[in-house]
Amino acid sequence: MEHGKHVFRIVILVAVILAVVLLARGFLVPRTYGLYGRYRGANVAQQMDARPVLYAGAAACADCHSDEATKRAAGAHKNVNCEVCHAPLGAHILADGSVVKPPVDRSFTLCARCHRKVAARPAGFPQVDLEQHVNGPVEGKVCLECHDPHSPKP
Amino acid sequence: MSDCHDGCDGGRREFLAGTLKLAGGAVVTVIGGSALASSSSSPTSAPRPGGGAYDWNEHLWAYLIDTTKCIGCGSCARACKAENDVPDGFYRTWIERYVVGSEDSHVDSPNGGMDGFPPVQVGFVANKSFFVPKICNHCRATPCTQVCPVGASYRTKDGAVLVDAESCIGCGYCVQACPYGSRFIHPATHTASKCTWCYHRITKGLKPACVTVCPTQARQFGDLKKEGDPVRAVVEHDRVQILQGHLLTEPQCYYTHLDKEVR
Amino acid sequence: MPEITGFAFPNDIHVTWSLMIVMYPYITGFVAGSFIVTSLYHLFDRQEFKPVARLAMATSFAFLLVASLPLQLHLGQPQRGPFVIVTPNFTSAMAGFGILYSFYMLVLVLELWFVWRQEIIERARRSRGTKRAFYAALALGTYDTSPEAIEIDHKAIKILAGICLPAACMLHGYVGFIFGAIKANPWWSTPLMPVIFLLSAAVSGIALLILLYQVHAKLERRPVVASCVQALASWLWFFLILTITLEELELIVMAYEKSESWLIISELLTTRLSFSYVTMQMIVGGLIPLILLAVVVLMNRYLHEKVRNTLATVAAFLTLIQVFSMRWNIVIGGQLLSKSLRGLRSPYEPEIFGREGVLVAIALFVAPFVILWVFDRVLGIEEPEGGPAANPPAAPPGAAPAGSHVP
Ligand code: SF4
Ligand code: SF4
Repeated sequence: MEHGKHVFRIVILVAVILAVVLLARGFLVPRTYGLYGRYRGANVAQQMDARPVLYAGAAACADCHSDEATKRAAGAHKNVNCEVCHAPLGAHILADGSVVKPPVDRSFTLCARCHRKVAARPAGFPQVDLEQHVNGPVEGKVCLECHDPHSPKP
Repeated sequence: MSDCHDGCDGGRREFLAGTLKLAGGAVVTVIGGSALASSSSSPTSAPRPGGGAYDWNEHLWAYLIDTTKCIGCGSCARACKAENDVPDGFYRTWIERYVVGSEDSHVDSPNGGMDGFPPVQVGFVANKSFFVPKICNHCRATPCTQVCPVGASYRTKDGAVLVDAESCIGCGYCVQACPYGSRFIHPATHTASKCTWCYHRITKGLKPACVTVCPTQARQFGDLKKEGDPVRAVVEHDRVQILQGHLLTEPQCYYTHLDKEVR
Repeated sequence: MPEITGFAFPNDIHVTWSLMIVMYPYITGFVAGSFIVTSLYHLFDRQEFKPVARLAMATSFAFLLVASLPLQLHLGQPQRGPFVIVTPNFTSAMAGFGILYSFYMLVLVLELWFVWRQEIIERARRSRGTKRAFYAALALGTYDTSPEAIEIDHKAIKILAGICLPAACMLHGYVGFIFGAIKANPWWSTPLMPVIFLLSAAVSGIALLILLYQVHAKLERRPVVASCVQALASWLWFFLILTITLEELELIVMAYEKSESWLIISELLTTRLSFSYVTMQMIVGGLIPLILLAVVVLMNRYLHEKVRNTLATVAAFLTLIQVFSMRWNIVIGGQLLSKSLRGLRSPYEPEIFGREGVLVAIALFVAPFVILWVFDRVLGIEEPEGGPAANPPAAPPGAAPAGSHVP
């Protein structure tokens, strides 16, 4: 094939290009790629440490606030995590150990989120039609004037 | 490579991958594993699963939602946003409200239910109304990881579907492929983002934030590999439902008392 | 904030795939379409396509160079784009595209090289200095134009064309697959999708060549060969009929089955997409060119050359719009509808400036023509008349006798 020289050359060229691409690929593949599957294995551990835990759960709050905790545990709100109303523990005790007073919404809007009458709520769940339930304007801390949020009675 | 939950289609792919890895690997050994640019920046350099205190082989997580318990307070959605720093206008979990009559139905989810639900007026006779919390289903046969061109989306051995934000190229294909609208492109990182089942929490023995705060226990989280786990008991012995079962994505988020209107 | 009618999943209100993803199948379509035309000559020996065969191949190449750009531009992290090749996930249609694209690029460049080899060598012989070095490098240093070598070239061209045609079809069918295989989206998820994409690629490729051929002939001051226009028009007609039939059949089946998604899809078509689907895709870009082309094909004998050219050109232009609308309606339409199947978002308006904006889209569409122009300057698209060494005025007469050494 003395006239096939050009074919030979182009084949070599293609082979060289392919080799370069493969070589480059070897450099670029992340080290832990393929460790557990077709993804970067190191990411699993990264996901575990992705961010600090903010919501620590009621038990953690009880470590310091045992009075409220006991009261809550005995009442109708026993399954309501403190952090639902008081914001997450992580916003109260910061990563450096300093303590910040958490903002607490004491207005009726907080209570209304769960207890305002909405048709979609399960029938057995305690709900009130605010305007009919409250004598006078619905505003401010009107709910807390009668109900103790840590151990509410109907 | 042993984990074959997410739709491995037999030996050919494995073989292909093997060859490619060989090709890449050979070069890496020659070069001495230097210059591996993209895997350096991780804070925890050593891969841990099974190695640290948490062993992912011992768990298989599942999520259970009892729609009759949900009161639509939105605590879960708010906790999720705080815990995971979810950007405004995007949702890792949300609550839908259904108002259903025999002629018509109405669905809404104002701000994902984050601010609770005001009463609503509908223009038809409503017979029933209820809330349905939604979350990534962490599908066993995930359409989202299937379409990811670079393997940035993957399913862990313990059953969570995660996104590697360092590998994600932000193509948005997974966003299109998820039938449940669970994914979005994060406006700051321009990579895909979604519910992780709070992987940083569940690997430390905690529950996901949404489950932790749910005041009525409408949301539950459990381990299908643990004897006597309440969620496992329900999934195994009760009648449970899943969303869009006809798509065969095998959701690992189970529901009880779902309605025909819910998709 | 987009407005929603009905209920959309709260994350479903963003159009994640922008105008760029509309441009992507549009441009890739020209790659496949024009290659089909060139194959009609190179592979199936249809002599009437000879006048456009080389133009078609160059066009395919020019569009191929830009084809992956819209994808790249759309990425949230464009610098990680190469990872589609580095760590491909083979269950992903998009990773498959990366590999198919590279493969097609390789084969097409090889084919181009064999087809244009004689020109390259001619130019290498004629020019001097860096220019000569450039052409010599392009020719890979061998100047063999003996009949035996040419014979080998012909064989190589045939073989490569045989590989290239299925590769081109796969490439574009695959683009359809990217959408058709998304079971989450009922407006996309149909096995017809790859077929429709492929057929409309053929439509857009042929239509573009009708236009390009007219323009190119004007620029080169060559006569437009009537039989070629005629042949292009009839193939365009054929493919347009197929495309539109399939596009309609898909809808009819959906409507007749009353599939769970039909309710929302019919609403989508009659409200959000009424202009781009009904008016543009079906009437302006569908019905009208069908009629025009029918005239060209069926009444060929009675048409004056000017009339035929005009009719074909207008029809070609309209079909280009048809194909664009089709891409738009698929890509954007599919995202206006929420996967809750209960809601539609307000129409999407692309940004003007910006990485994924209208200006960039226009630039992307114009770029292949610039590439074609450069291609013409560097290699010459048409075979020089009367053997090699014709038009380029750059070559001083007798400047480069074969084999003269470079200083
Ligand atoms: S719900 Fe969506 S994001 Fe979650 S695993 Fe399934 S497909 Fe993926
Ligand atoms: S957006 Fe990221 S995670 Fe999703 S498919 Fe694309 S690369 Fe994969």
